[in-house]
Amino acid sequence: MTDYISRHSDAGNLFLPRLFQGFPEIKEALISDKMQAGFMVAPMAIALRSQGVPIRIVYLGHRYGSAVVVRKDGRIHTPADLRGRTIAVPSRFSDERLIVFRVLKKFGIPISDVKLVEMAPPDVSGALAAGAIDAFSMGEPYPSQAEMGGYGRVLFHAREYWPDYISCVLVVRQDAIDRRPQVVQTLVDGIARSGLWLEKGRPYREYAADFVGRFYYRQDPALLRWALTNPLDRVMYTPLSPYKPDFDYIRDMMRETGVLDRGIEFQDYVDTTFAEGARHKTAWIYEPGSEHAR
Amino acid sequence: MTEMKKFLLAVSAGVVGVTALHLAYNMNWSDIRNSRLPPDQRKLNVAFIPVT
Repeated sequence: MTDYISRHSDAGNLFLPRLFQGFPEIKEALISDKMQAGFMVAPMAIALRSQGVPIRIVYLGHRYGSAVVVRKDGRIHTPADLRGRTIAVPSRFSDERLIVFRVLKKFGIPISDVKLVEMAPPDVSGALAAGAIDAFSMGEPYPSQAEMGGYGRVLFHAREYWPDYISCVLVVRQDAIDRRPQVVQTLVDGIARSGLWLEKGRPYREYAADFVGRFYYRQDPALLRWALTNPLDRVMYTPLSPYKPDFDYIRDMMRETGVLDRGIEFQDYVDTTFAEGARHKTAWIYEPGSEHAR
Repeated sequence: MTEMKKFLLAVSAGVVGVTALHLAYNMNWSDIRNSRLPPDQRKLNVAFIPVT
């Protein structure tokens, strides 16, 4: 979205967006310096930094926007019914996996009582429709896709059990931060302004669904419209600054669930400089359909 | 024009056409242009997947 709007500004496009189909591929592209920045699930970013990969989290991609979805005609009506079921998650290093752990724990179900399988996000809706899995925990628009398709039902949104839930974060290679901090700041500023623009109301979200679906995600704009407006706060784009308590919780959950073998401090994997620099930014001045943004 | 010349012309036209389509649709020219810039002028490559 930031790319689309910034192309209409005097500055032109601020960066080169590259579409990937899974988080592991993004991880490899960052390690090899094919990508200097990328969006990935927060636990994966923490794990990579813990393993010595020179990246830092600089901003969030959004807040909320993940849900556990079950078959519409199935027998799962409460989280307690997940016992003995197969649940797909995007990665073992994902908040979508952690929310499953958190909810199962709340309902007194040992994690050994469910079968977690890793699946690329675009595959989960089809797998649910085919009966290959009983549920999936995934970010939008895949919960919306299952709902719109008529075969899926949201069992719960992540925020219902994790009020400060975050999922995708923006990571940047350390060498890019060191050598070109102004470029990174421009990127973060653009994302901050896009988030504020999206929060201006339904028409802006509907317009974003249209151009993001057609030009970036290669998805039906109606699907993104559902994800962004049903209801309007299903996915939130402010505030996007990384807060220490949110990440401390994720890190601790990662250790508890066995995907992080040592402690790592917030300042070792997050650089808040750019979020602070973007704090006073205002929304893009860009009306849907117009030719100019500023 | 001999049959052979017609054949070679058709093959050449086909190769040129396919090459042009390949260059238009499969090559990422913005990426190529960006990679040829001095490092301090390059735009960042930012990876994303079609999920919020």
